[in-house]
Amino acid sequence: MRFNEKELVSLSRQPSEMAAELGMRGPKKGDVVKKRLVKLVVNFLFYFRTDEEEPIGALLLEQCRVEREDSQSFSIAFLDEAERKYLFECDSEEQCGEWVDSIVKASYEFMRKNLIFYRTEIHRLTGKDPLEQYGISDETRFQVNNGLQLTPRDTSSL
Amino acid sequence: MKLNERSVAHYATCDSPPDKTGFLFKKGERNTAYHRRWFVLKGNMLFYFEDRESREPIGVIVLEGCTVELCESAEEFAFAVKFDCAKARVYKMASDNQAGMESWVKALSRASFDYMRLVVKELERQLEEIQEAAGGDCVGAGGLQGRSKPSRRHQVSRSRSGASSSSSSSSTSSLSSSSGAPPMAVNYSAQRSIQDEVQLMSDCPKENGVAWSKPAVSFNGFAEEASSCAAWEACSDSGSNSGPGADGVRAPPVPRRRRGASLESPVSPGTGCFSKLHDWYGKEVEEVRAQWLQSK
Repeated sequence: MRFNEKELVSLSRQPSEMAAELGMRGPKKGDVVKKRLVKLVVNFLFYFRTDEEEPIGALLLEQCRVEREDSQSFSIAFLDEAERKYLFECDSEEQCGEWVDSIVKASYEFMRKNLIFYRTEIHRLTGKDPLEQYGISDETRFQVNNGLQLTPRDTSSL
Repeated sequence: MKLNERSVAHYATCDSPPDKTGFLFKKGERNTAYHRRWFVLKGNMLFYFEDRESREPIGVIVLEGCTVELCESAEEFAFAVKFDCAKARVYKMASDNQAGMESWVKALSRASFDYMRLVVKELERQLEEIQEAAGGDCVGAGGLQGRSKPSRRHQVSRSRSGASSSSSSSSTSSLSSSSGAPPMAVNYSAQRSIQDEVQLMSDCPKENGVAWSKPAVSFNGFAEEASSCAAWEACSDSGSNSGPGADGVRAPPVPRRRRGASLESPVSPGTGCFSKLHDWYGKEVEEVRAQWLQSK
């Protein structure tokens, strides 16, 4: 599958929400823990060899599960291959907790749910749709029942 | 650079609802002809398939930091997705009608994670204001104290992610403390109370947007209640990354907006004024529209 690698590499250089050196182990059998600079930028987790400018790789953090493995480590697994886990070792419980939390919140889908909640809640409390004043009430991405659709629909006419 | 391609492709085709789909002509990289492709926009990822029934995308364009413009092209209803990095490729696309073009330009201009985050923060702020104005009225949901905040649980999307969670949910309620997730999309007309939502959530295993299947509580011994409020308070600190506080748990706030990272535009009036920022995002769309009208 093709992807715009240059732009993604450029994204990895952006200021990030969280960046630290962690132990990282890939999902394959035989993979060992290696020290990596791990950086969270929007919904991507980039990992670098320390002091290298270009990341070795990126993980898109959608449709994934983050789990605490023990007091100082956590794992990320993707829902389409749940047994394959990426393991991350932190320096402390606190750091581990922060990473888990940040990664969970780093998905677009997570934010969308937040938004739908707030929109609904504000509407419930005030009777008004908070998005109306910005003219974005009808955008598909903000729809309240977005989460309930089971089949993608052709929105080409929207 | 590696990418978790299989999982990214899975995101394209899983049953989470797309933000926009449709046919567009896309200009090839080497072959400069326009090819008709089926496009699926999800979040900040624009996938393209050979056709509508294809099971796997040919490719994906990560839209973060892009700008969308009309392009001068022999092709009618054409627009371009551009990036502000060295030697970035320009993605030229064309719709087969004016409405389609406008609609795609609009959707793509606002597809970034940053934009979504902006809107979420704004609504979060509005909700807080409303709640404060209401004198911190609490809808006494069991377990939640203080204001009637969105429950911090992760939402289960049983129907959405399509994956079944095998973990037991019995211990998940304690997990939810340090992270925040609002309840599942609630139909406006359903008017579910916070209480119902909390109930719904504690029964559910958690997945992405997502979740954790193992309890964290045994490791940090968090007091659930203390953390419940802490998480959101931390969030309103415009992104200061404070660690756990004296009460033992303080969830890190929502990831802070990348400062000065806006690739698509110069000035950012700061996140203080949402309507300015929002207008700014909308400006691009207006300009494209104006250009098109002028060229008529």
